[in-house]
Amino acid sequence: MIATKSVPKSGEGMWLWLIKIVSGALIILLLGLHFFVNHTGLVSITENGLLTHEGVVQYYANPIVPTIEILFLIFVISHSLIGLRSILLDLKPSRAALNVINWVFTLVGVVAIAYGIWLVFKILSFLPA
Amino acid sequence: MSTPTNQPSPKNWYKWFDPRGRDLGTWAFILNRLTALGLTFYLFLHLIVLGQLAIGPDAYDQFVELLHSPVFIFGELLVVIAGIYHGLNGLRVGLTSFGIAIPYQKQIFIGLLILTIIGSIYFGITMFTA
Repeated sequence: MIATKSVPKSGEGMWLWLIKIVSGALIILLLGLHFFVNHTGLVSITENGLLTHEGVVQYYANPIVPTIEILFLIFVISHSLIGLRSILLDLKPSRAALNVINWVFTLVGVVAIAYGIWLVFKILSFLPA
Repeated sequence: MSTPTNQPSPKNWYKWFDPRGRDLGTWAFILNRLTALGLTFYLFLHLIVLGQLAIGPDAYDQFVELLHSPVFIFGELLVVIAGIYHGLNGLRVGLTSFGIAIPYQKQIFIGLLILTIIGSIYFGITMFTA
């Protein structure tokens, strides 16, 4: 590994790069939380953890949970799409191709986040009134 | 130093994954890229299958039942391993982007590989014996 400074990738502006770095760090934090809460007994949720529909719904009853899950969703979708775009940039797409990539990825990101938020509210709708 | 002949280009993109004659950093890059693709695939799969939660208790509980098979547990283990590696390597890349710890990149990379291996063994054992 040669000790040099890191070089900005052409086609990836400072803001996208910064979002990728910051969301990456936040994902490590939130994924840790998501993972330990979902899969270990550190936080008692229900007898079956999140392995039953009922368990998931009860878990979402605490308003902190849907809030964190929605934030996590936004970070992870953004990070994955910016990362995938940066892989495609290595293929040196033409200006027109990059435009298509930008539009498609933005659309996929918005749809995925909207779907995720819809899913969170759908889960909350199963809570007993 | 001679220039390696296996440098990737847009037409020969698969040479991204050819580490011959290059530095250790190429391995870091290859693993980062493979885990990125794997995790992205898993992310969208995860979002789609969790749609079962919207359908109702029967749909979701039957789906979870399906996941008890060793094939899915193995797949989930791969996701966990990829997540550990990508997260640790991402920290290294993030630090070096800000000019931090650049002279120690090699040591940090070897250290994070060791942590990934330890994590893989730990999760491999816990997931298959749970």
